[in-house]
Amino acid sequence: MEGQLEYLFAGFAVFWAGLLVYLVWLQARLRALQAEVRRLEERLAEEVPVAEATAATRSASAARVAPEGGA
Amino acid sequence: MSWLVGQASRIYAFRWVTLPPLVGVGMFALIAASLVVAPRESVEGEVQRVFYIHFPSALTAYGALFVVFVSSIALLWTKDMRWDAIARAAAGVGVLFTAFTLGTGAIWGRPTWGVYWTWDARLTSTLILLLLYGGYLLARNLADPTDEQAARYGAVFAIFAFADIPVINMSVRWWRTLHPQPMVVGSDGPAMPLEMVAVMMIGLVGVGLLATWLIVLRSETELLGVRTQALRARLDRRMGV
Repeated sequence: MEGQLEYLFAGFAVFWAGLLVYLVWLQARLRALQAEVRRLEERLAEEVPVAEATAATRSASAARVAPEGGA
Repeated sequence: MSWLVGQASRIYAFRWVTLPPLVGVGMFALIAASLVVAPRESVEGEVQRVFYIHFPSALTAYGALFVVFVSSIALLWTKDMRWDAIARAAAGVGVLFTAFTLGTGAIWGRPTWGVYWTWDARLTSTLILLLLYGGYLLARNLADPTDEQAARYGAVFAIFAFADIPVINMSVRWWRTLHPQPMVVGSDGPAMPLEMVAVMMIGLVGVGLLATWLIVLRSETELLGVRTQALRARLDRRMGV
């Protein structure tokens, strides 16, 4: 049973290295998703005024066209 | 029931404060106990200390996959997609700890059995477990996380795949295997010294806490993924895509 320490070291190393890789991957995924959610929420907030402005322009031009057409 | 849910929510609210320090203490205790406190095994020598990681990893994998089993039943019962996120999170952790069990077992097997791997019933059924839940994760990751039909198919698969765990447990009794018979929970009590049982219990608590923390972290990630998909869909609708 000489040289068993290297197997003991290898057994612990597999566990700790695997755990480290998993935690790093999980943290990277969590950060990427948090950034994506922030970006999408900002875009949604920007899109609301644009969509409202477009709708207002459309209704204003429709209101302008309607009396002319009616006259 | 509502009182129970309220209490559970109150405890869950403290997860970021309580879990990381508890995991740190548990894992430090595991290292110290397995390398320093546990007695040297007379036949196998120092390499037997791998047991204190190998056995808790196996039990934790079964625990995590039991969470998948229960969450999958809850998903089919309630149709609440949050259960799917929990099932996917627990399956990831279960696969990780099944891989640790196989990896540490192979390293322990080389000096004691003379081989890293053999097509023994216990080892093969554990490999099948890894492939079953690895396949489940692959299929769920390929599908949209908000796809309810894919989630239901996944839940049914996860429930049936859980049947492999009793087979793994009974494999050393049903077939002649190289893997030893149960030493911790035998018919005549534990077949190992009490110091070893105590260190093993520390390992179970430490690795169990670690798995709980990982499932919580992964569940938050999966729920964030679902939220991202919902936000993308909302933005697409608004832009008229």
